[in-house]
Amino acid sequence: MTVTDAPHADVGSVALEGGEALAPDYLLRLRGVGHVFGEDEKRYHALDDVDLDVPRGEFLCLLGPSGCGKSTLLNIMAGFVPSTSGSIKFENREITGPGPSRMMLFQDSLLALFPWLSVTDNVEFGLKVRSVPAQERRVAAAQYLTMVGLAAHSHKFPHEMSGGMRQRLQIARALATRPDVLLMDEPFGALDAITRRNMHRVLLDVWEKTGITVVFVTHDIAESLLLADRIAIMSLGPRSRIQDLVDLRHLPRPRDPATTEFGIAYRRIEQLLNETPKAASVQ
Amino acid sequence: MDGTVRQRGTEEAVPPAKEELRPSLHVAAWKFVNRHSALMALFSLVCFVVFWQLSSGYLISSFLIPPPTAVVRAAIPMMYSGEYFQDVGISLFRIFIGFASGTAAGVFLGLLLGRLWFIRQLFDPIIEVLRYLSPTAMIPIAVIWFGIGEMSKYFLIFWGTFFIIVVSTIDGVLRVPVTRVRAAQCLGASRVQIFTRILIPTILPAIITGMRLAMASSFMSIIPAEMLAADSGIGYLLQASASLAQTDRIFVALVTISVLGVMVDSLFRFMTRRLLHRYTVYLAAS
Repeated sequence: MTVTDAPHADVGSVALEGGEALAPDYLLRLRGVGHVFGEDEKRYHALDDVDLDVPRGEFLCLLGPSGCGKSTLLNIMAGFVPSTSGSIKFENREITGPGPSRMMLFQDSLLALFPWLSVTDNVEFGLKVRSVPAQERRVAAAQYLTMVGLAAHSHKFPHEMSGGMRQRLQIARALATRPDVLLMDEPFGALDAITRRNMHRVLLDVWEKTGITVVFVTHDIAESLLLADRIAIMSLGPRSRIQDLVDLRHLPRPRDPATTEFGIAYRRIEQLLNETPKAASVQ
Repeated sequence: MDGTVRQRGTEEAVPPAKEELRPSLHVAAWKFVNRHSALMALFSLVCFVVFWQLSSGYLISSFLIPPPTAVVRAAIPMMYSGEYFQDVGISLFRIFIGFASGTAAGVFLGLLLGRLWFIRQLFDPIIEVLRYLSPTAMIPIAVIWFGIGEMSKYFLIFWGTFFIIVVSTIDGVLRVPVTRVRAAQCLGASRVQIFTRILIPTILPAIITGMRLAMASSFMSIIPAEMLAADSGIGYLLQASASLAQTDRIFVALVTISVLGVMVDSLFRFMTRRLLHRYTVYLAAS
């Protein structure tokens, strides 16, 4: 396993100063991103100097303790929240707001879905707002609902489905608009352990079939090890940053938690997480 | 706690008749009430009317509270002469005009204030001050402004409706989940599309609740308005009967107000269920 302790190192890129042209196809590029909440005494410096590159097609997990700013970072990538400092580029263009190429998936599916629309209408929503003809919409909805295994439930409404089904619906709805990247904010955090296992399978299946890029926020080590190409470990706030980047691409898929390699990786990440408070106190 | 657990247990344990305990009487009664709620409502009302009939004339003077039979006897000639239906019709029409205009204006201003923070800061204090002026308090000035004609009644119902709808609409707008708006933004919805396709459907339940409250308030404020400033309507009927000490006619008017209120609310609920079911059902589930 490769652990690069220096967060500035671009894993997978050609190590050249200012070598933008030689860099691989980076979808998201964060440089010196910082975020401060509030003003004066209520000021909270959540993120400081975050550097991160996400190549196209990668499955990246943001792992860290609660309150470390993972969700804030994801919201900045989505364009919901402007960062206070630094630059976030998507396909080499500065992000100024939310866009259909960066699709956020939320943990609270009942809030994120449109509960007055049927399953099919939810999936078609993103196409309808850009005036895609009805016939095309129907075909796309059927295709993505089949992909996540919801084809038989197309006439139901979100509140009539289980939490796991609703998250699959969120994935199908997201895919229908063909985004470049899925930004997932602890999407399976509210599900039971068995449903979550199924969701991991569904998500990895979708990821492999579509070749989409995923940035996945979690505080669950095992979950990140099951899913990720790379894990970005964030330090505890305030002034949290990306403390380590762990490359897991050598672990074969589908990943089996019972293997020795998995256990070794798990222990290594646990060690890195334990170092977090020390690193903060040194500052 | 213990009681509910046992109750639920017995309810579910009924179908498998293996070692069924003897169903106790209170469980059977509980199940019956649960299944026939409409029948139970009718039953309790019938009990109330019977009690009213029996007590009037024995427990209480039949002049102060005339028995149901006397109320019906007074109502029949009123219905035959047509004055009754005229009064009911004019009151309902006034409520309808004031309620519809008040709802339209209230939703419009509520959306505006809910969406535009600056305007809300400007208008909120004014609304907060004015909404404590009940329609009844506004009767004298309404009569001076609009005279004793229809306009003053429309205005008073409008006044009562408007503030309830404004407050509930603003509340609805402020409660629209950020998550849902963000999801729509990601899916490529424009600002206008977010307004029409996300905001409006999300706040519909709040508006419907506001409308039901405003309807009840309209029924309450039409009466004093007609008592003090009208020569027709149910309120006028009450006033005229009182001045002649015709308690049976007063009770005809009182029963009419109750029945009309329940009927209008039931109709309203039926219509929203029929037309807007999908915008409200999920609330019970979440």
